[in-house]
Amino acid sequence: MRYPELQRLGVEVIGASVDNVYTHKIWEQTELSKMTGGTLPFPLAADRGGHLGSLYGVYDQQQGVNQRSHFLVDPSGKVQLACLFPSAVGRGVEELVRLIKACQEQQATGGQMPANWQPGVATLPGDMASTGYVWKIWKAR
Amino acid sequence: MFPTVGGDAPAFSTEVYFQGQSTQLSSDQLQGKWYVLYFYSGDFTFV
Repeated sequence: MRYPELQRLGVEVIGASVDNVYTHKIWEQTELSKMTGGTLPFPLAADRGGHLGSLYGVYDQQQGVNQRSHFLVDPSGKVQLACLFPSAVGRGVEELVRLIKACQEQQATGGQMPANWQPGVATLPGDMASTGYVWKIWKAR
Repeated sequence: MFPTVGGDAPAFSTEVYFQGQSTQLSSDQLQGKWYVLYFYSGDFTFV
């Protein structure tokens, strides 16, 4: 599980499905605990009726479930990332961690993160002077 | 409505399950913090 890494990045995690708290409890006891080796370290929202999912535009009324998706919100309450996924394909937490690091460094430095950016890779100034010269700073992989 | 990146995250208050208890969690409690809110179709599926 990548939760400790998210904690080190100062990121709170909240999961949400349309299941009620009793189902969440049984799921934790019978299955999740076997994967995490204990209790789940973050809360699961009991989003009955998809109210929370509707606020985020991911509640599928026909199916009565929330679509697989995730959102990153910064300390000022702004959405920094909004991702939708296929229902039968799991998300990539590694990519989420990369995006969190990029968003945090972007806010700290004001730099711009090119495609496939990883911590330690040069960021782009995004100014007039560098326009047309990005190829000198950044090599596409 | 699907949010605009860079726009305000929706304010919410919801019942949550956390370590054996049912409690309330609101976006106000998360003010000043980075957070990831993830949705999945249902318990006993992969997330």
